[in-house]
Amino acid sequence: MKRIAILTLSALVCLSAAQAKEIELNVKRKVLPNGMRILVMENPTAPVVSTYMRYNVGSVDEKPCITDTAHLLEHMMFKGTHTLGTKNFDAEKPIMIEIDRLAHAWEAEKAKLLSPYAGGSQEKADALRDSIAALQDTQKEYVIKDELWGLYLKNGGTGLNASTGQNSTQYYVQLPKNRLELWAYMEADRIAHPVLREYYSERDVVYEERRLRTENSPTGKLWEQFNATAFLAHPYGWPVVGWAADISTVMREEVEEFFIRYYAPNNCVVGIVGDVKAEEVFALCEKYFGPIPSQPPPDPVFTSEPEPAGEKRIEVEYDAEPSVMIGYMATQLGDPDQAVLQVISSVLTDGRTSRLYKRLVDGKIAQNVWSGDPGLVRYPDVFVLGASPLEGHTCLEIEEAVYDELDKLKQAPVSAWELEKVRNQVEAAFINQLNSNTGMASRVASWEMMTGDWNNLVKHRDATLAVSADDIVRVATKYFEKKRRTVATLVKPAKSEEVTKPQASR
Amino acid sequence: MKKLALIIVAGVLVGVPQAFGQHGRGGAPTTGGPQSEGGKLIASFEYPPIEWQVPAVGRDVTRYEMGNGMVVYLKEDHTLPEFRINAMIRCGSLYEPAEQAGLSQLVGTVMRSGGTEKLNPDSLNVALEFIAASIETSIGSESGSASLYCLSKDIETGIRLFADVLRRPAFSQDKLDLAKEQIRKNIKGRNDQPGSIVAREFDHVVYGNHPWGRILEWETVKQITRDDLVAYHAKALAPNQILLGVTGDFNSGKVKKALEKAFGDWKKSAQPAPARPAVAADFKPGVYFIERDVNQTNIRFGHLGIDNKNEDRYAVSVMNFILGGGSFNSRMTSKVRSDEGLAYSVGTRYETGSNDLGTFYAFCQTKSSTTIKALDLMKSEVDRIRQAPVSDDELEMAKDSYINRYVFQFTSANQIVGQLMSLEFDDRPRDLLEVYIAKVRAVTKEDVHRVAQTYLHPDKVSYVVVGKKAELDGDLATLGQITAIELADPVVD
Repeated sequence: MKRIAILTLSALVCLSAAQAKEIELNVKRKVLPNGMRILVMENPTAPVVSTYMRYNVGSVDEKPCITDTAHLLEHMMFKGTHTLGTKNFDAEKPIMIEIDRLAHAWEAEKAKLLSPYAGGSQEKADALRDSIAALQDTQKEYVIKDELWGLYLKNGGTGLNASTGQNSTQYYVQLPKNRLELWAYMEADRIAHPVLREYYSERDVVYEERRLRTENSPTGKLWEQFNATAFLAHPYGWPVVGWAADISTVMREEVEEFFIRYYAPNNCVVGIVGDVKAEEVFALCEKYFGPIPSQPPPDPVFTSEPEPAGEKRIEVEYDAEPSVMIGYMATQLGDPDQAVLQVISSVLTDGRTSRLYKRLVDGKIAQNVWSGDPGLVRYPDVFVLGASPLEGHTCLEIEEAVYDELDKLKQAPVSAWELEKVRNQVEAAFINQLNSNTGMASRVASWEMMTGDWNNLVKHRDATLAVSADDIVRVATKYFEKKRRTVATLVKPAKSEEVTKPQASR
Repeated sequence: MKKLALIIVAGVLVGVPQAFGQHGRGGAPTTGGPQSEGGKLIASFEYPPIEWQVPAVGRDVTRYEMGNGMVVYLKEDHTLPEFRINAMIRCGSLYEPAEQAGLSQLVGTVMRSGGTEKLNPDSLNVALEFIAASIETSIGSESGSASLYCLSKDIETGIRLFADVLRRPAFSQDKLDLAKEQIRKNIKGRNDQPGSIVAREFDHVVYGNHPWGRILEWETVKQITRDDLVAYHAKALAPNQILLGVTGDFNSGKVKKALEKAFGDWKKSAQPAPARPAVAADFKPGVYFIERDVNQTNIRFGHLGIDNKNEDRYAVSVMNFILGGGSFNSRMTSKVRSDEGLAYSVGTRYETGSNDLGTFYAFCQTKSSTTIKALDLMKSEVDRIRQAPVSDDELEMAKDSYINRYVFQFTSANQIVGQLMSLEFDDRPRDLLEVYIAKVRAVTKEDVHRVAQTYLHPDKVSYVVVGKKAELDGDLATLGQITAIELADPVVD
């Protein structure tokens, strides 16, 4: 291991004192002529590098009926390019066109089967499905399975993955520092010349992902129903993984169109943190990403959530222990209230001295309690709290305790001690997050993407440190009202008959 | 916190296989050579060598022993104004009798949550959280852990409170009651997720009554008293049973003095380390079926494997990578997920770092109507890797992957100290980290074939299946004798 006793000023941070406020982030920024933004932090503590590419597109950009497109596209981005993952793309092309044609016929036939009047034929649908499968087998002769993923693995890539959220899609990998050119080449190639091959089997994979994370998971189910209840109009209301029926019907061309619209260098920010030289990173990016043309920026989401008309409640039936989620329609990034909501969340549920922890967990009413401000969101989102009651207690008791604590925030300023504690924790967290190359790469890229300037992450920290007790009273009064509230409760389905099995069992 | 819940990840849940030790060098070119145009171009890239060494005690990390036998590993790292101690303690649920199951876990929780002789729980929480410090403790199967995190301006306070928690916990009755209620709730909800059912029941089938197969029951937990915790602590927590790993922005001389002051007068224990109950090397082939109202079947099948002294473990890891551990580039994932679209998460694990016999298992979740189809495909991959040698490309992919990413085992002072300290804690050969890369490099196709035949036992497989029988695409009885496991209300007072 290369030993570096003390970092110089060229390193990750300029460190002069044990105070977060005196730590300056040493981020170097370059904008390529095509609008792609590259942010680099040099950290020579280990010979590795973290890469993080964030595209400003998520499920919020989808349309009804094709929910899941953003996420499905993220899966498809691992399937290769014109020259990766294939022995002969020209030979594959006609096969893919024919598969798409048959797939449309298949979907149409399946749709007919849903109505007793449409005269659909199961045999016809099955025959089409089999023809598609046969063509897929033909295409396989040319496909090199997961070549892109394999090249990363072979070269020591770790933490290799991608994720899709409501607001963004990101691709990341950590590599030994000398493998950065491999990253630049493959990432550029997959946004310049992607091929969405093996589409229909991947769509099934995503459906299994939905079954795993949502349909057979009490937490997943509760979240999905909570969001769908909280948002009437805005796309934050539909699940990132998509509605089941959409997953099984979205077509390859629709996913491809989504790619064409949103994946552009000017809709992307790259964060690179590790034992690299910024100038070398910039040169590599220029070489590989430079030739990719920029595009007109995509439209924002014009739908906005109407003013809440009253409290919304849903009981979600599921055979699991009860739990409750409570959300208040709040605000978006850029609103100064965000920093106040962050401090409120901390006062309520961060650590064993927080108000709701003491009341609910120490009070032996709930197993756990948590809360979250909207965070890095493009459009107004909810402030959420959640908890699960211990034996002998109910979600209703939790709700009452939460409302009581929220009322207290409106009625009296928080103590100076609480505020100072939160400030100390904000400062320490700022220092602590510098330990992770990947965490920093994601943080600077995300703030740059969301606000146009990575340094807003520092300004946001300072805004959080400046939150006053009066701010908390004001913001709590503004958002924590019944009308803005959504409550989702997980309850066991009523049993037709009580079955008891006395033997030792699990 | 909130946003994490909404994010969906493309990769298989399993991530990449468990890494083992070694240093770095560029990967050799693939034997067959890349077949794609892009692959050929990439093969022409030259990667300048990386200079780094596997860390060693003495050179990169200081180790010393205090008069009372407490072992300390130190590594200064002035990158950030932080300070950390991670303690490893020789104790665990492996050593607790069945009638006291849950005691170790409770000690681990209440040692911290119950406050100290000087500070009641609230005062301890206040003292730590105001300075954004944290102390956490827990006791697992084979080791206890205690950690301190604070800013470097607070080192003295941090060490003082840390020593109080380790040496003088108050085990408040109120916090013991709370911890028991929490466990009760966990037991009550242990069947909420099919994934937890399948993991727990698989271990129970494979390990039987060994503590690794034990299922915690409220019956035993509810009988545990504060006296039990106090007695456990008096017996198990002793300086000569503890290793401390200290990293961060500190001065070694000063910290040594502070540690001496905090721990120096703690008396050594004459108690010998407890004996390990051995895993009985027998197999329980058959199908263990758990009926649930779900639309996706959760599968885990496998058997007992090897321990970490087995010299074949490097070859076993490589074999497992190719079979189902190498995420998308493994055979099973490629077939079941990518080709057939039958699962989001599918693959295999072969534990090679376990102090006693670990497990081999394959896992998958697939819709009810493709359960048998997926199982058949998974089984056929296990058979295939036993029947014929793997290809050169597969072998190189696995080895290069392990070798090239080895550097990620040593990217922070904290990680480096943790790696070196673990060798001593588990009494492993001290050159283990040094030799690992050569051991991986030495694995041949013949080795892989041999270990597949030696350590995969298709005839002794236990299949644990959570699903809805009426909707399956076939009969599980073709896999073996079916035993139904009933899941009734787990907590009956």
